[in-house]
Amino acid sequence: MNFKQILRYILLIIVALWTLGPVVWMISLSLKPPAEWYSANIIPKKLILDNYINLFNSSVPIGGTYFMTSIAEAITVPYINSLIIASISTVFAVLIGFCTAYGVSRYKAGGTFTLFFTLLTRMLPGATFVAPLLVYYSTFGLIDTHIGLILLYTAVTLTYAIWILKGYIDEIPLEWEEAALLEGAAPWTVITHVTFPLIRGGILASALFIFILNWTEFLFALVLSVTKAITLPVQISLYASAVGRMYGSQAACGLIATIPMVILGYTIQRYLVTGFTFGRVR
Amino acid sequence: MVFEKIINWLRQPKNFGKILMMPSSFILNLVLIIPFSILIYLGFTNYIPARGIEWWRSDIVGLTNFIKVIGDERFLWALLRTIIFVFTVVPIEFLLGLGIALLFLGNFKGKKIFTSIILYPMMVPWITVGLAFFLLFLDFGPVNSIILKPIFGETATISWYRDPILAFLTVMLADIWQWTPLMFLILYSGLVAVPERLIEAAKVLGASETQILKRIRLPLIKPLIIVALIIRSLEAFKVFDTIFIMTGAGGPGTATETISCYIYKLSIQYSNLSYASAASLIILIMIALVTRVAIKPLAVKPE
Repeated sequence: MNFKQILRYILLIIVALWTLGPVVWMISLSLKPPAEWYSANIIPKKLILDNYINLFNSSVPIGGTYFMTSIAEAITVPYINSLIIASISTVFAVLIGFCTAYGVSRYKAGGTFTLFFTLLTRMLPGATFVAPLLVYYSTFGLIDTHIGLILLYTAVTLTYAIWILKGYIDEIPLEWEEAALLEGAAPWTVITHVTFPLIRGGILASALFIFILNWTEFLFALVLSVTKAITLPVQISLYASAVGRMYGSQAACGLIATIPMVILGYTIQRYLVTGFTFGRVR
Repeated sequence: MVFEKIINWLRQPKNFGKILMMPSSFILNLVLIIPFSILIYLGFTNYIPARGIEWWRSDIVGLTNFIKVIGDERFLWALLRTIIFVFTVVPIEFLLGLGIALLFLGNFKGKKIFTSIILYPMMVPWITVGLAFFLLFLDFGPVNSIILKPIFGETATISWYRDPILAFLTVMLADIWQWTPLMFLILYSGLVAVPERLIEAAKVLGASETQILKRIRLPLIKPLIIVALIIRSLEAFKVFDTIFIMTGAGGPGTATETISCYIYKLSIQYSNLSYASAASLIILIMIALVTRVAIKPLAVKPE
């Protein structure tokens, strides 16, 4: 080990500490009883799981007897809502995105406008669509419904599906599909029997990536859901703005939302860049 | 009859491409184009829900809203603040990402573990990042109690969220924490792809490490760097979630209010939907112009 190696490790450890610090503090806070929330010790003197249990227990005012807050809803409903909304819109986005990507790639349908338009929708701040969506959804009674959020999420993440899958479809040699067509296969059969199996990896990666995006979407859910269709991020924000300041439950809530993300995230680690950069960078 | 015609049209192979595009145009029209039209319409009306007049019956007031928005100091400040945010955060993320990527070049023990640790922030939901940093910078939080107190003594408690500049800094730090890994990942994958023989050749010719970096590695991944910077800048412009959690969408006062926060407040808290629409449209046109210019390097695939 020379000087350079040692320096490298020192720097790496600093980066690792910077990366893990906030998370470690959250974990520590979520395991502490309310009396310890204001002290500086990282390892709790008294380890409790109450913060987590209270999240699922709607009858107990959050924070136990120490604090009273404006919310006492269990986290179960938002969690199930998030799962339902995120998975259904992911399936929609990937299937529709696949059709579009295939059409653009093989039939040159839609032209460059479709691609530019879909890219633009991702570049726009979501906030610019809040006012018209509120008006639109309240006119048609879609506010606080699952279907409303599912439709919106599908449309918003469609871009990613199209761009990621187009990259994969472009890479399949045209001759393979042409051969199948010459053999007399219908266009649909070519898609289901040739193209689809070849890009199974891409489908899976884009699906997981889009699921992550849906799972974490906050702004639209905040505006368009009230109680019935409330999603996990909105529930977390309720804790954050609660009157009694439930630091322990807040941390526990944030961590619970992270778990599926981390599992999926490490599964598609090498596809993450493709996702975030629309397949432009690989 | 009509039904048969439709079936015939669908059966024709030349229409197959169009059929493939149908589901996406349906959903994009339903959920994006219609609201977009409503947005344009609202921008020219004086619709305020509290007045009790339906939005399609409210008066058309022409350009009044747009003129008001352009003269609105709070809007301009929010815009400026967002631009400052983007131009501070993105270069820092880029430099840190590049630095970490250089640290990872070559082989060393524990490379896999360190990679997994460094990528971790990418897998944390936006909202949880806000929450984590909110908890860190509380008056009795660890930044004050673990880092500052041992150095500056017991009285060194800083109220991060009370001071406008410090509050803005904490929000920036959260963003840097979250997005540096993406920069690292993009740059690292680029740097690794630089052909080894070029570097060997330069070494034989007596080039130093810094020269190799400046003359060979960086120029070769330049297209990659441009794409990463553009995409990251456009994404950073949208920042909302972390600020919403950390400073309640803009506090103290309006010190951390970005454009997303301001438009959100206009639509929800002040429920002035027409005014919010006009502001949104101005932002939309700006972004569309920027994207138009930015799409050129995006369309070129770096090899």
